[in-house]
Amino acid sequence: MRILVFPLLLFVLLVSCDNKPEKEKTNTPETGKGDTVSITKPDNNINPYAQADISPMDMSYYPADYPKLKMAKETSAPPLARVIYSRPHLQGRELFHDILKYGEPWRLGANEATELDVYTDATIQDKKIKAGRYILYCIPQQDKWTIVLNSNIDSWGLQPDPSKDIARFVVPVNQTNNSLEFFTMIFEQAASGANLLMAWDNVEAKLPISF
Amino acid sequence: MKKAIGLLVLFQLFFTCLMAQTALPPVDKSPMDMSYYPNNYPVLKIQDKITEPLITRIVYSRPQKAGRGIFGGLVKYGEVWRLGANEATEIEFFKNVHIGGKKISKGRYTLYAIVNENNWTIIVNKETDTWGSFKYDAKKDLVRADVVTQRTDAVLESLVMAFEKTATGCNLVIAWDNVKVSLPITF
Repeated sequence: MRILVFPLLLFVLLVSCDNKPEKEKTNTPETGKGDTVSITKPDNNINPYAQADISPMDMSYYPADYPKLKMAKETSAPPLARVIYSRPHLQGRELFHDILKYGEPWRLGANEATELDVYTDATIQDKKIKAGRYILYCIPQQDKWTIVLNSNIDSWGLQPDPSKDIARFVVPVNQTNNSLEFFTMIFEQAASGANLLMAWDNVEAKLPISF
Repeated sequence: MKKAIGLLVLFQLFFTCLMAQTALPPVDKSPMDMSYYPNNYPVLKIQDKITEPLITRIVYSRPQKAGRGIFGGLVKYGEVWRLGANEATEIEFFKNVHIGGKKISKGRYTLYAIVNENNWTIIVNKETDTWGSFKYDAKKDLVRADVVTQRTDAVLESLVMAFEKTATGCNLVIAWDNVKVSLPITF
């Protein structure tokens, strides 16, 4: 009887993990870090139009997975917010200080500037934010990050132009137990709207947005 | 003993479901990318080298060939194709343009394609912020434009979309495997 327990548990584990993800994923993380797929650079030398990026782009909606909800006809309301960002990865480096330095502005991504689309007027830390497109950057410190909302959209990397800053928000930083290989931004539901969660390596910060 | 197993199974289910909910998203196998017209607009902007106004941007995901036959194989002839992967492919116009003889007002749109061996139909559709082409609704089409296919010299591993300057505006070039098409956009 006892012999049966392990295969049974294994079966249950497999079945319960099969939540049919719509996004294509690989099931075998190479570094043992759960968010990792191997990054191939398949055609960089022969694609004359645009090379595949080493830091791939991604987008996250609020409500989370809005396009899938819409496809499943589980929502008819318009989306509230979206972030479009590129996902650099650690590749054996430590976030602080190999990649980022405390007090130095960071682009919160890679390549094209990280874009926050707000589809309805919103409020962040008592500041009214009009519906529209913005870019985000960050000034990290050990225990807090300053998240900057800026109007210099459709730009690249970060050339901080404080004259185009719209607002600055200071949020606390939390240490996490796991190390994330890839920089990650998602929206989490919160009591009065959403938290924009920014996580990389073993730190995460949350920017609360009310709609 | 059976009770114990039952309990273990329940716990296992509970915790795996819990873990599944809090997991952060992994990196997509088909990474997203964006292209602007004018080309490399964001880089030109930070270098103060902009000579033309911003016209358009496409945001799409880049599936890979991975040894498969693409057109007529993975992408079936005569069916609506999502022209990308994951989130529906989005084109934004920052000013009014013309495609296929029809005026397109500035705004965000979704692109689809119906692929055939010698020609493709490119579809500009008003339903944005959606996923794939699973709920494609022809009633929300704005314009359909036919373009002829050309062969590429090299086999392209990743789907690519980029803009090329033309005398009357730009072409949206879409290429994958050994096929490419050019959709004229005038402005």
